Amino acid sequence: MLSCTNMEYSIGAFSLRNFSLELERGDYCALLGPSGSGKTIILELIAGLRPLKKGSVVIDGKDHTLTPPQHRPVGLLFQDYALFPHMSVYENIAYPLKIRGKEKAEVRETVHAFAAELDISRHLNRMPGTLSGGEKQRVALARTLVIHPMVLLLDEPMSALDAPLRESSVALLRSVSEKGITILHVTHDPSEVDSLANRRIHLGSRSK
Amino acid sequence: MLYGKNYTSIRLVFLFLSGVMLLFIVAPLLGLFFSTSVPGLFETFRDKEVTSSIGLSLGVSALFTLLAAFFALPLAYIMAHKEFRGKAIIQGLIDIPIVLPHSAAGIAVLGFISRDSALGKFADLFGLNLVGSPFAIGVAMAFVSVPFLINAARDGFLAVPGRLEQAARSLGASPFKVFRQISLPLAKPSVITGLVMMFARGMSEFGAVVIVAYHPMTTPVLIFDRFNSYGLDYARPVAVLFIIICILVFIALRLLGRKRKET
Repeated sequence: MLSCTNMEYSIGAFSLRNFSLELERGDYCALLGPSGSGKTIILELIAGLRPLKKGSVVIDGKDHTLTPPQHRPVGLLFQDYALFPHMSVYENIAYPLKIRGKEKAEVRETVHAFAAELDISRHLNRMPGTLSGGEKQRVALARTLVIHPMVLLLDEPMSALDAPLRESSVALLRSVSEKGITILHVTHDPSEVDSLANRRIHLGSRSK
Repeated sequence: MLYGKNYTSIRLVFLFLSGVMLLFIVAPLLGLFFSTSVPGLFETFRDKEVTSSIGLSLGVSALFTLLAAFFALPLAYIMAHKEFRGKAIIQGLIDIPIVLPHSAAGIAVLGFISRDSALGKFADLFGLNLVGSPFAIGVAMAFVSVPFLINAARDGFLAVPGRLEQAARSLGASPFKVFRQISLPLAKPSVITGLVMMFARGMSEFGAVVIVAYHPMTTPVLIFDRFNSYGLDYARPVAVLFIIICILVFIALRLLGRKRKET
């Protein structure tokens, strides 16, 4: 499903060399490593937000190494969720659908369906600045999932959450994973993915 | 105790100096207003030469501010987002009109639009003389005021978190859609401030405008002309009227910007 081969990239003092990754459909892979080890950069390389120096990114058999980010079948959940502050929750979730030229009725129906599934229907008219960390995460997840990505990239998704919210976040990510989406979850905290990941990669070591 | 006493003294000194500064700004304006009679002001308001000059100043400045924005906003976006060799030189170029004497700026613009220039020759093919036209006035206004727009918009774009633009890209937006739907709306308060500053600076321009077009007269040129030909008493009511209109327009645009920001 997701095949990254010999990825190379460098910026400033950081350099990534010969990073490879092979994930099957439905895999939940944890990418572990300390801060500054380049975990986020790997996600951005897969999402196309940074250009690879060498190597390739193949998703579902199709080479996406040179595909611009907007055309990759990839969803990226940012660490700070990156909700658009000038749009309501509804508009945030509807944004990727509107970009794709979906009909207004279809947009409304899809947004409401995902909002109901992620239990954020009552927040649709609110602005992102008024939401709690857990609510923001659900909105960002809904916004990413409406485009039905083949691969979901999660960048430290629980770092901004308090302990009680983490449990519900784990349950939420498990339910997303059960839909069969391939997930790559970046974290510096191995306990965060104990009950989620079926694969683990420690940066600098080989996949096990 | 000693610290408290020093603090109070410093505060008094600062308050005094601030007061002198504010008085320096307000006193000439108040003097101007108090030495102008209300009937004289109404008479000036009925003077067609005055009203048409105000219309020309406001209209040309507004039009060329909008025209300049079409080119200035992409430049501001590039200056905020891209790192490239020679960026400091480009920034220096952008700021040049601010530091130039405005009469020198007028001479530069005149060379650009005169009949000997490529643009002037091109206009001549259609029987047009750019010198002394509203076009010349607009170019002179834009030349001296566009840095205010570029710099304000650049600061606005710089303040937009790059994460939001990346998020939009990963959600399917093209670079242009990211600019139009994410960067521009989030930078809007700064962009509006820049537009207001450019417009206000443009409509009050004298030095550059008087060199490229004495006629048709913008209000600053008309004020100079009346002062030069008839003296202070004839120039004063026009100046007061133009100041009132400038302040009203300035307040209206700021309120509009604030209202948009709140919504």
